[in-house]
Amino acid sequence: MSQLLNSLLTEQRRGNLTLAVLSQLRTPQYGYSLVKRLEDSGITIEQSTLYPLLRRLEKKDLVTSSWDTSESRPRKYYVLSDYGEGVFQTLKEEWKQATNELFRLLEEENNEMD
Amino acid sequence: MKWIDVYLQEVERRLPEKNREDILLEIRSTIEDMLPENSTEEEVKGVLQELGDPVKLAQGYSEKPMHLIGPRYYDTYISLIKMILPIAITISLITLVAENIIGSVDEGSLIMMILAIVGEGVWRVISVGVQVFFWITIIFALIERVDLGIDDEDLRSQRKKWRAEDLKKVAHVPKKRAISQWEVYGAFLWTAIWGTVYFHADQLLGIYENQGAGLTFVTPALNQDTLLSYWPGVVLVIGLEIALSLYKLLKKEWTKGLVWFNTVQEFLSIGIFVWIITNERLFQPAFINYIADLFGVNAAQVESGLTWRIAAIFIIFAVWNIIDGWVKYKKGTKKTKVSHELVK
Repeated sequence: MSQLLNSLLTEQRRGNLTLAVLSQLRTPQYGYSLVKRLEDSGITIEQSTLYPLLRRLEKKDLVTSSWDTSESRPRKYYVLSDYGEGVFQTLKEEWKQATNELFRLLEEENNEMD
Repeated sequence: MKWIDVYLQEVERRLPEKNREDILLEIRSTIEDMLPENSTEEEVKGVLQELGDPVKLAQGYSEKPMHLIGPRYYDTYISLIKMILPIAITISLITLVAENIIGSVDEGSLIMMILAIVGEGVWRVISVGVQVFFWITIIFALIERVDLGIDDEDLRSQRKKWRAEDLKKVAHVPKKRAISQWEVYGAFLWTAIWGTVYFHADQLLGIYENQGAGLTFVTPALNQDTLLSYWPGVVLVIGLEIALSLYKLLKKEWTKGLVWFNTVQEFLSIGIFVWIITNERLFQPAFINYIADLFGVNAAQVESGLTWRIAAIFIIFAVWNIIDGWVKYKKGTKKTKVSHELVK
């Protein structure tokens, strides 16, 4: 039971994760600062998922990256590209609409149970 | 620092060559970000624990598929194995029988010989099975990896969007006209069987006699050298038969093109068959004499009698096949017309 629940939850979170990451990349972020920001908003993410995800987003031109070597240690910064901004806005609208509908659906079911 | 280096080493050996340096540098800088200044060993271990299994981390960066054959090719892969495996096994078993049947056998060793052949047969079936499985798997694993440049999304967008209207273009196949998969399957198997027998005719076709001590292969019926001199024609017929079967597999019903292909192919094989069988040197003299003795007639009569009888049987079967194709095609079209009129 719990194993099934875990795999269902992972599946459910996977899509939301991309949206969450994109939303935080309107200002340049490096890996760990992104983790901190997400955690502060209550979103836990496995780091072994996050870093490869950033690479894939970069490969699909949704974000761009650059190394900052001015600090004591080099850091890789990621930021949303123009293309990524457009994709993010569309995803956001879709997500809002979908969750609204889902919410209504689940409410109805609640009422029926009462 | 030692902990971090070992951790990074564990990640590194599993990373793709490309971008390896860049990825490692990023992970190292992340680890340092997570650590307070002058960290203790315990704190380092804690951070690495948080970062998680290095194997899992490295896997995330992998660009190759983590499976041998994915869902895109799995169906084709399985059906190809199902089709090729029985054919390969049949060919190898016929060859086995051909190799072992020559020579006389005395009573005592007959059982031993049968056991030996069965043992050898089991061994061959296993090794042929493994070979077929191995090579088809290798080929599909390669296809899976070569195609990697194309994303699934690209593939989907290249395909035109499906609309219900498209069903109009796909003709409903009437039962009478349909070619079942089993029919095609049988055709493949038949080609494999007669092809193998052709190349081993001197070992398989001939006179067997029970001389009180088990079966003895008295004489082969045909002159193998003469038979084999026709190989280009035979290979042509084999090629056409395979092409026809593939065409059937593709069309799944008797169409005009298919019926014509079938007709041409049958006529061609009649031509080549008659050409081969009318060769005077085809039959072994020993075989002819044996038959002549058996029926008490002279050798010339046997030879001409055999030739035209076998030719006649072959031609009857071929013509039957041609007619069968046309009849199925015609019946199918008539039925469709009727049902179209009914709809009106």
